[in-house]
Amino acid sequence: MSTIILITVAVIALALSVKRDKKKTLGSLKQARNMMKSMLSDIVGILLLIGLVLALIPAEVIEKLIGGESGFFAVVISAVIGTITLIPAFVAFPLIGSLKASGAGIMTLTAFLTTLTMVGFLTMPLEIKTFGKKFTVVRNLLSFAFAIVIALVMGVIL
Amino acid sequence: MIKKHKILTVAIISYILVLFISPDKLIPAISGSKYYFLEMLQILPAVFVLTSLIQTWVPTKVIMKYFGAGSGLKGYGISILIGSLSAGPIYAAFPVCQTLLKKGANIKNIVIILSTWAVVKVPMLINEAKFMGIQYMAIRWILTIAAILIMAWLTAKIVKIEDIEFIEEENYIDDVACILCGKCLATYPNEIKVVDGKFVLTGESTDELKAICPMGAIK
Repeated sequence: MSTIILITVAVIALALSVKRDKKKTLGSLKQARNMMKSMLSDIVGILLLIGLVLALIPAEVIEKLIGGESGFFAVVISAVIGTITLIPAFVAFPLIGSLKASGAGIMTLTAFLTTLTMVGFLTMPLEIKTFGKKFTVVRNLLSFAFAIVIALVMGVIL
Repeated sequence: MIKKHKILTVAIISYILVLFISPDKLIPAISGSKYYFLEMLQILPAVFVLTSLIQTWVPTKVIMKYFGAGSGLKGYGISILIGSLSAGPIYAAFPVCQTLLKKGANIKNIVIILSTWAVVKVPMLINEAKFMGIQYMAIRWILTIAAILIMAWLTAKIVKIEDIEFIEEENYIDDVACILCGKCLATYPNEIKVVDGKFVLTGESTDELKAICPMGAIK
């Protein structure tokens, strides 16, 4: 369903773009191809690793570690893992989708997903260089705390 | 070569190890990966086409032009637009924010840009709905926006604009901001070269070069 929406939106956008300026559209299609090419090996690598991890770790173990009953501590650990990993968000979705299918809980997955995108441990030196220490520390700490709040609320609602 | 394909190399080595340690896991691993690969293949072209169309018609640089003194509702609105229409991971937003700080952006706006840049992206939201369901995506989105506004307000209370200091350099391509679109290379093939999968300047930077980059990565 959402795949159809996405493709429809992309096709409509493309048609509008062609109507306004063919040359510019061609340029941006080339740009899309270049971006995809430059990320393809990372994407394939991550998908291969996801397949491997899911084949090696039995669903019961996943459920026990990060399942719905795994508690607050597991949520914090998931948030920490999200903080230190640096993978593109759009490959994170198939990962958490598959973990959910293997029995992982909403709270742990949400905590991981939110810190993955909003909190950056590996990019912190860069952020400090751009905004200074105080801003970086405050922003990352707040984002971490709110990721856990969002995760807990999600767990209660869903 | 290995450096450029770091993750893929790690994956292949892991598969070789598994082949020796427990070969029976290999088939399930590959068939699992194949499943996700096919799922991604359905959406990836659309994600990248949308991303680059947005960059072509609404380049981050153009929205930044409308960014005035950056206070009030208009400032928040433009901050959210910059964050949600731009391509790339959160660290690609750092140079953009640096430029906006020079234009007088306040702390709240910067936090809003950084956070929406990280979380609120149309192709990503559709992707999230695909793998986690529309209900999950919608609730997480609403909660995240609320959290971002509170965080922006809190950060502005704690951090003052004087606390922010940054170093400025010129004549290089910021590989953090660069989304590898290849626009510069296509237009100025003599001024740009590719080293280790990254774009670099061959000589000094010019205003034409700076203008061609949709991300403002050429300094």
